[in-house]
Amino acid sequence: MTLSAIHRARPRDPLPEALLGELRARLGDRLATSAAAREQHGKDESAHPITPPDAVAFPTSTAEVAEIARLCARDGVPMIAFGVGTSVEGHVLAIHGGVCLDLSRMNRVLAVHVDDLDARVEAGVTRKQLNRHLHGSGLFFPIDPGADATIGGMAATRASGTNAVRYGTMRENVLGLTVVLADGRVIHTGGRARKSSAGYDLTRLFVGSEGTLGIITEITLRLHPQPEAVSAAVCAFPTVDAAVRTVIQTIQLGVPIARCELLDTLTVQAVNRYSKLSLREAPMLFMEFHGTPAGVEEQARTVQELAKELGGMDFEWATQQEDRNRLWQARHDAYLACRQVRPGSRAFTTDVCVPISRLAECIAATNEDITRASMPVALFGHVGDGNFHLVIPIDETRPADLEEAEAINRRVVSRALEMGGTCTGEHGVGIGKLDYLDAEHGDAMSVMRSLKEALDPRNLLNPGKVIRVRDS
Amino acid sequence: MTAPAEQIAVDLERQREVVSALRTFLPESAVLFAQEDVKPYECDGLTAYRQVPMVVALPETEEQVCRILKECHARKVPVVARGAGTGLSGGALPLGNGVLLSLAKFMRIVQMDVRSRTARVQPGVRNLAISDAASPLGLYYAPDPSSQIACSIGGNVAENSGGIHCLKYGLTVHNILKLRVATIEGDIVEIGADALDAPGYDLLALMTGSEGMLGVVTEVTVRLLPKPEYAQVVMASFDDLAKAGEAVASVIATGIVPAGFEMMDQAATRAVEGFVQAGYRTDVAAVLLCESDGTREEVADDIRRIQEVMEKSGAVQTQVSRDEPERLRFWAGRKAAFPAAGAISPDYYCMDGTIPKKRLGEVLRRITAMEEKYGLRCANVFHAGDGNLHPLILYDANEPGAFARTEAFGAEILELCLEVGGTITGEHGVGVEKINQMCAQFSSAELAVFHAVKWAFDQEGLLNPGKAVPTLRRCVEYGRMHVHAGQEKFRSRFKVQGSRFKVQGSRFKVQGSRFKVQGSSNIGRPMNTKFPTLNFEPGTLNTEHRTRNIEH
Ligand SMILES: Cc1cc2nc3c(=O)[nH]c(=O)nc-3n(C[C@H](O)[C@H](O)[C@H](O)COP(=O)(O)OP(=O)(O)OC[C@H]3O[C@@H](n4cnc5c(N)ncnc54)[C@H](O)[C@@H]3O)c2cc1C
Ligand SMILES: Cc1cc2nc3c(=O)[nH]c(=O)nc-3n(C[C@H](O)[C@H](O)[C@H](O)COP(=O)(O)OP(=O)(O)OC[C@H]3O[C@@H](n4cnc5c(N)ncnc54)[C@H](O)[C@@H]3O)c2cc1C
Repeated sequence: MTLSAIHRARPRDPLPEALLGELRARLGDRLATSAAAREQHGKDESAHPITPPDAVAFPTSTAEVAEIARLCARDGVPMIAFGVGTSVEGHVLAIHGGVCLDLSRMNRVLAVHVDDLDARVEAGVTRKQLNRHLHGSGLFFPIDPGADATIGGMAATRASGTNAVRYGTMRENVLGLTVVLADGRVIHTGGRARKSSAGYDLTRLFVGSEGTLGIITEITLRLHPQPEAVSAAVCAFPTVDAAVRTVIQTIQLGVPIARCELLDTLTVQAVNRYSKLSLREAPMLFMEFHGTPAGVEEQARTVQELAKELGGMDFEWATQQEDRNRLWQARHDAYLACRQVRPGSRAFTTDVCVPISRLAECIAATNEDITRASMPVALFGHVGDGNFHLVIPIDETRPADLEEAEAINRRVVSRALEMGGTCTGEHGVGIGKLDYLDAEHGDAMSVMRSLKEALDPRNLLNPGKVIRVRDS
Repeated sequence: MTAPAEQIAVDLERQREVVSALRTFLPESAVLFAQEDVKPYECDGLTAYRQVPMVVALPETEEQVCRILKECHARKVPVVARGAGTGLSGGALPLGNGVLLSLAKFMRIVQMDVRSRTARVQPGVRNLAISDAASPLGLYYAPDPSSQIACSIGGNVAENSGGIHCLKYGLTVHNILKLRVATIEGDIVEIGADALDAPGYDLLALMTGSEGMLGVVTEVTVRLLPKPEYAQVVMASFDDLAKAGEAVASVIATGIVPAGFEMMDQAATRAVEGFVQAGYRTDVAAVLLCESDGTREEVADDIRRIQEVMEKSGAVQTQVSRDEPERLRFWAGRKAAFPAAGAISPDYYCMDGTIPKKRLGEVLRRITAMEEKYGLRCANVFHAGDGNLHPLILYDANEPGAFARTEAFGAEILELCLEVGGTITGEHGVGVEKINQMCAQFSSAELAVFHAVKWAFDQEGLLNPGKAVPTLRRCVEYGRMHVHAGQEKFRSRFKVQGSRFKVQGSRFKVQGSRFKVQGSSNIGRPMNTKFPTLNFEPGTLNTEHRTRNIEH
């Protein structure tokens, strides 16, 4: 679906007065209906147009979420879960109106079990908050999308980050969930046990379901021990291709690299400006190695040799914690930095993922699209996972920009699909990728649709996202 | 299991109908129905349950699988998929009114791709055959159930099997990328992707561990790993179970992720030593095996630290494997634990539950107490790193009453697992064996979600009915049975009662009507469809008693 199509007014009924009254009686000033609050909850970090909900609720417990869900279900009102709104595919837009459940006030870390390497948190805890909480415990939570997203939002979008190549994505790191179903009933999935083969894997079903199957209120997460030794490095390359080939060989050799990020020249320029760095303006890899001191040294040596053979230059180390933090913060801000390449623009992003064996070919072809584009398009990504992004800055006043961006996106996505990849590596489906899902999944879509129908028969949970049910 | 469901007599007319329908596209040799031909399929690794199937189908192509499913779907004949039949929970137990669909002929490794380090294989390929084929390329398939010589990759997917190395390398779900699945309607669905992530709902995870109830796997793309450069194992002996349990927790707490971490108690090491001479001490309470793999430097670092921690935790002896043959010998004992139990006892019953690692010492102490109570011996092997316990209860089926005691013993062990915050099955699945305990582990809302998932794949409940997920009515009856018995609820749920097996027997007959219980709920009832209402009588499921692992 094109952005313009999303603009199309959709029929929506006003919230029943009685429902508003009941919600207000329960939530008091934790129910907001002001235009400002609604607008703030009707947009994300993308170019999608603002589409506000009718009311915003700020529940503080699972019981409250369940109660709100029961009331909304009774009246057939849509419910949209909201973390901090950093998603980029129109996930939280209230295209059918309804009540937004902002979970940011459910922000308690409920338990940390150092011995068992796990923690239980409420959905509104953010990843940085959790890591601050873990400070001093010797453990950390690795998944780090660029934004300081909520754990609930990250679970709901199956987020990944810079070190997924070593630690996996939310898929591997969520052990259990508490979920409020479409009718307000509460279930617990998974648990702290590392293994259980009882029943279907509901945990992973809800992870990545983008608020369309249930509202996540609590999450049990797997934690990881702080590595004994960490070192980060940057390396510039003559071409994007040389950088990509270095990554591919690193992965194929089985080097357990912890982070491996590619930035093309434009991205490096943008990052230099945004984060006040002075990196050489050439395609770059940002890398990090975790392990024992000897292991880290050995991994780094191997990669350095590979890079040199492919023309890598200025292999530079960041061993100090502050230097590393600056480097990774700059990488996390790459999206924001690239948006500023063209002042006043909004960002249109693509997010594809291909098997690592096809990565070089895919990026080379994408680079040609970029050269032909009329605007400056930046390319960067978690190449160790075969995942990369384009940031296409569009001028909202020029419809031709949007069309061009959509055309580039279509080309990149269909290429990725041809290569056995996917249309979204980590940002999820939302509304932006809805159409591609059919192309990618074919028959599996009907199974997904049946799942949605079985779990949310009246299509009340974040309707119109991930899957199109009937007329949504 | 003392009185497993009475065998259901085959409806001969229906049998004829199904056989002739299948023979229109399958050769005669691929459709079995004579008693002597179908008898070998009457059970899986859980031999106490037996039932001859109405028909056995042995297709060779995916197209044939789809045709079989279409025919069965049209005729409302239930279908049970079968891989190698090594399952330990009765997942592949046939139905007397159903077709057993064997995937034994799907033995081909379709493709090995060194560059992307993946293998595309048919479902009947044996687990070990994948690693054997990948070996010349320097690669292997990581999950290694002890049954790996025999079990099929399709069965591994259906059970989400693990093995000694899954602590570091994950279970089946972490090591597969794509599946081709035939639905009950006979359509092929491709799920997953060659790339890291596939958008939309995680159907791959849903299929993995679904015990043949959602679809029939016809092809699996697995991830291969480079063989580690080097591996070494520390063998540590303890004179005290609690100390061994502490040592496990302490090693994990260092941040080292061992490639394998196993424990055996004295009964197990004695059985094993009599069987394969792996070099275990038999005069100690427990032996731990802890492996590290990677580059030589990493392994040397890890092994030194592991050894240190073991010694600090009170090991009476630690030994590091000096070379590859010795490393393999240390593991050979653990891998032979089940057959070794078989060698010292006429029968054994393998349990499977998980517990928090810290409670190990206590749990083993209480199991020892149960040995006296039931008058049976029990050997314990333990995937220590991930808290997965396999007590092997030794008994003699020919001794009157022994099996009943065994089962009661087993049920009490599972109860104990739940009580300390674990689960009732770590890796062997639910099958028919633990179906009643599912009512204890999951609430009615949770079971309703399971049913909703099942419905999305198989609306008429024709795929492996009666396994893995109990119907709500079954749970209601189960709950009522115990409430009526007037015993303390938690405890009573696990009591073995004769009537339980009555329920089980009739299960196969009550298709269709089985969902019809009263009450009301939305979930699981899509509009405009004939989905049976997933209802229950409010209050009859004593959900408040289930012990779940949620701590605050
Ligand atoms: C600068 C920048 C960099 C980014 N980098 C990455 C990256 O590297 N990797 C990556 O994966 N993503 C990245 N993202 C995208 C985004 O941060 C992630 O998708 C994140 O997981 C969204 O979390 P959130 O709390 O903001 O959720 P929201 O945006 O509020 O919600 C996202 C979706 O999840 C649902 N949802 C939220 N909370 C819940 C809940 N408790 N229960 C059920 N459903 C819920 C919503 O309904 C919505 O569909 C980036 C975004 C930005 C702006
Ligand atoms: C000595 C011994 C040791 C064992 N050790 C372990 C261990 O260490 N770890 C472990 O996890 N398990 C272990 N097991 C259990 C068993 O080997 C595994 O569960 C194995 O995955 C079963 O594979 P199978 O091919 O024998 O499947 P089967 O027993 O034939 O079937 C198991 C289930 O899978 C379904 N199924 C089979 N093939 C398909 C298909 N193609 N599509 C859909 N559904 C299908 C069946 O319907 C059934 O529900 C052990 C068993 C034995 C006997």
